[in-house]
Amino acid sequence: MVLAKLAPHLLSWAGIVLAMGRGFSGRRSVVAAGAIVGFPLGVAGACLLSRAYPGDFSFAIIRDIVGGSFLLLWGGAVAAIYSSTVREFPRSWGERLANSPFCAGAVALSSGMIAGAISACRLVGTYNTLPPFLLLALAASILALAALAVERALAASFPVSHSGLMASVVALLLFSASSIIRLDLFSPLTMKLMKFSHDFVHQFFESMLIPDHLFIRTYLWGYIGLLFGNGVGFWGALILWFTPAVLVALAIQWERLPSVAHIRQGAQRRRLLATGIRARRFRLVIPVLAMVVLAAAVYRSRFPSVEYWDPKPLPISASPSGDIFIPKKGDVDLEDGKLHKYLFKQGGREARFFVLMTPAGKLTVDLDACAICKPDGYGQAEGTVICYYCKTLIPLETVGQPGGCNPIPLPFTEKEDGVHIDGLTLLNMWGTNAQSTARVKGGGK
Amino acid sequence: MTKRRWLVYLVARALAHRKGRTVLLLAVLAMASSLATALGIVSISMGKRVAEEVRKYGANLVIIPDSARLDVGSGGLNFGAVTEPAYLNQQEVEGALARSGLKPGRSFHLRGSLHWKDADILVEGVNFDEIRQLFPWWQIKGGWPAAGEAVVGSDMAARLGLKGGETLELAGPGQSVRVRVSGIVSSGGEEDGLFFLSLPELQKVLGLEGKLTTVRLLVTAEGESLKKRAAALQPLLPKAKVSEVRQIARTSEGLLAKVKLLMVLVTAVVLISAGSSVTGTMSTTVLERGKEIGLMKAMGGGRWEVLLIFSAEAIMLGLFGGGAGYLLGSAVAQFITRAVFATSADFIPWFACVSLGVSLFLALLGSVGPLISVFRLDPVRSLRGE
Amino acid sequence: MSTTIIETGGLTRNYGDICALKPLDLKVPEGEWLSVMGHSGSGKSTLLNLLGGLDRPSNGSLRVGGEDMQGLTEDGLARFRREFVGIIFQQHHLIPYLTAVENVMMAQYFHSVPDEAEARLALERVGLGHRLKNRPSELSGGEQQRVCIARAIINSPKLLLGDEPTGNLDHKSTLMVMELLKELRAEERFTIVMVTHNPEVAAWGDRTIYLDDGILVREERTRS
Repeated sequence: MVLAKLAPHLLSWAGIVLAMGRGFSGRRSVVAAGAIVGFPLGVAGACLLSRAYPGDFSFAIIRDIVGGSFLLLWGGAVAAIYSSTVREFPRSWGERLANSPFCAGAVALSSGMIAGAISACRLVGTYNTLPPFLLLALAASILALAALAVERALAASFPVSHSGLMASVVALLLFSASSIIRLDLFSPLTMKLMKFSHDFVHQFFESMLIPDHLFIRTYLWGYIGLLFGNGVGFWGALILWFTPAVLVALAIQWERLPSVAHIRQGAQRRRLLATGIRARRFRLVIPVLAMVVLAAAVYRSRFPSVEYWDPKPLPISASPSGDIFIPKKGDVDLEDGKLHKYLFKQGGREARFFVLMTPAGKLTVDLDACAICKPDGYGQAEGTVICYYCKTLIPLETVGQPGGCNPIPLPFTEKEDGVHIDGLTLLNMWGTNAQSTARVKGGGK
Repeated sequence: MTKRRWLVYLVARALAHRKGRTVLLLAVLAMASSLATALGIVSISMGKRVAEEVRKYGANLVIIPDSARLDVGSGGLNFGAVTEPAYLNQQEVEGALARSGLKPGRSFHLRGSLHWKDADILVEGVNFDEIRQLFPWWQIKGGWPAAGEAVVGSDMAARLGLKGGETLELAGPGQSVRVRVSGIVSSGGEEDGLFFLSLPELQKVLGLEGKLTTVRLLVTAEGESLKKRAAALQPLLPKAKVSEVRQIARTSEGLLAKVKLLMVLVTAVVLISAGSSVTGTMSTTVLERGKEIGLMKAMGGGRWEVLLIFSAEAIMLGLFGGGAGYLLGSAVAQFITRAVFATSADFIPWFACVSLGVSLFLALLGSVGPLISVFRLDPVRSLRGE
Repeated sequence: MSTTIIETGGLTRNYGDICALKPLDLKVPEGEWLSVMGHSGSGKSTLLNLLGGLDRPSNGSLRVGGEDMQGLTEDGLARFRREFVGIIFQQHHLIPYLTAVENVMMAQYFHSVPDEAEARLALERVGLGHRLKNRPSELSGGEQQRVCIARAIINSPKLLLGDEPTGNLDHKSTLMVMELLKELRAEERFTIVMVTHNPEVAAWGDRTIYLDDGILVREERTRS
């Protein structure tokens, strides 16, 4: 059960060890040691972290570390492409560093720690006892050794370049992270880009004092509108996501073939050339596989296997005095920690809101909308609610606080038996906060 | 020159060397894939169109007065039809509906013409609440009308130069009415050419209180059971005729199904015969080129490398055949939809993948046998000419 | 002094019940030009196919260039053929839809990568610099055979096998081809094994062996 849940993480961990064994082929023992020490360290670290800072903070730290490795890959990819196209690149020190046992150990240790932390995050919310974590560390160690054994059996004509190693390790880490929605990097990237383009377009075009600018006609506005679309974030993020792996592949593709001009005999010259081309093609396999893994990560991020708890809004009405009363233990149990959505209609006006018990044990009542997005509403997944429109994850702990993409809190009074909400306040708040584009009835996906 | 480019060049030369056979194979592949493409495009675009048509009639039953159509004259002397306007009695219909036990969505319609400026315009009286429920696809630019307001169809608005917010005075036989245009409706159907007033107002202006020309019903039933419902409703309304709206769509659906079946059969036959003719042609080619294959192997070509050359030939044929098949298939689909359905087919770019796939599949499947013999061929015996 | 390039021990090849090659023991030192003579059906082509890695022996040992031919897989044999031997056939066997230079490039393609400049040079070397772009059907018999030679030597083989290379040629062309082979051998130092039934052609070699009904019956060394 536990292992089935961890399958994607363990699988990518095996891939990481395999790639490292190949990438540092001279230093298998160092890699093995680093990996086997690093993984349990990462698991333990993640456990301690989540113990010390329950809630979203620990996830944010781990996610930032994974993001850091992605930035590192960017750097490595740019360096690789630079060194393969420009001749005078001071590669000697870099090469020496990359070939040192210290580097092999450090890479193995750190990627082990990150992979371990990611895998542990999968268990943190659901299990509170030690055995699952021990099982995880044990399985990872066995897998690491197995992967190294497989690596040894692999054909020697299948080398992994340093940049290729980097691309594959980071891609596998990202894949591993993508199946935990709180660690996933692709959707935040999409969101950030979308917001950035919104802001940019706003600032830029408002400073040009349009709408009646001489050069900007209505059809142009159509194109500018594209920048606001949901597509910008997605496509832009795709580009950012795949570029480093593509750069690494290009760097290998553009590598110079061995110089053959000095060989007099044609056949020998050609054979050398053919061997060079073949070797280059083999080195390309890893970056291409990394791209496939990255694509899988995007897929998992777009279509997460986690089911969102997406309740249908229950219609509710107010008493003649305008008071809405929801009993704590009625048809629904308000204090079960789940999202409970309600739809209130009065005099042709409608408003959607939800009641939720936060992990801290406090009831909160909020509009099913935030101040920013189109009110598509919220769904619930492990430890968070998600805004369906902008896919922002809001940790359950902060639901009930105003601001940002958080659901707008409603004033309510809590009694012994239930919660009371003022119907008119609710309608007015919905009217002022949720935009006029509200599709009240829809709600949810 | 890289190996890949050489391979393409080699295959192209080999194909060009046997022009007749290449053209034959291309024609076969193009024909097969074009038929598959045409079938797909016709069924997709016509299926969509029929579904649209069905959807346009949100109502699935319609009640019209029985005497609405009176043929005047007899035999060869035909003086025309629909001379006598006939009406349904609103109360009778309501009573019948109540007695039938059906609780359908319904809308009452009264159609007549009113005089505005120098022209008669076709006006339909409806209850807008009913309309909103039964015809949810009505798109209104402006707002839904309140009392004393009306909406106008987009075509009519364009013809008469009406805009939202205008007030106009419509004259009926007895009295006239002033209405404000609150919005412009477009539905893509006949509604675009009508002017909509609220039903009671129109009844008053025309002096036809309690009269209707049409009642549209939305009964939650389909197919046979819908027919039964209609039959059950009919005796309650002796002076009216209850009929199914879907009848209109059904004829085109039936025709579509028949055309599809025919094309599936033809395509299956063509695919099978094309596959076997590809096999035949490829086998003779491989037999004829036995010496060449033996030579390639004697020169040091591995079995897989020689196989690659010959599969590349099949793939290239498949690609070109598929490309031609897509163009041809789109044309055939256009022709079929024009000739049979009197509309034009959609242009579906991604169907190029389908035709390429069909053609590649056929080319490779047809070449499996010959390719195996290429793989197995013994260089010594083939070079000796056995 | 020189090393042995071909060494057979009890080499046999049967086709069903027919024994095409009876146990044969043969040693060819590197750099030698060996002529193989015999009537048709005497097993000389069979021997050549075995040496070229086109066929496998039924029995006995066969080592060519230090490689045990019995132990090679089908793909190993293909690699052996492209790296180690060049073969010239009696019927030329050129690919009809390719030009002379492209026919030579075909051998480069299977060996490593095609290189047009080098293929052109090779054709110039055999005296066909003016007929690079001609198809085989536009070439005379002697010219076709010279294309074959260029193709056979393009990958610098250690061993050149000739299966009656002059069988279809007139006297003049035969002389030209033999002269060309001699020149090339002097430069490239490959070993030649040539099957022929023309004693005049056989006399170009260093040594001639006579096969009859699959048995080595006589062996003689050419003077000079």
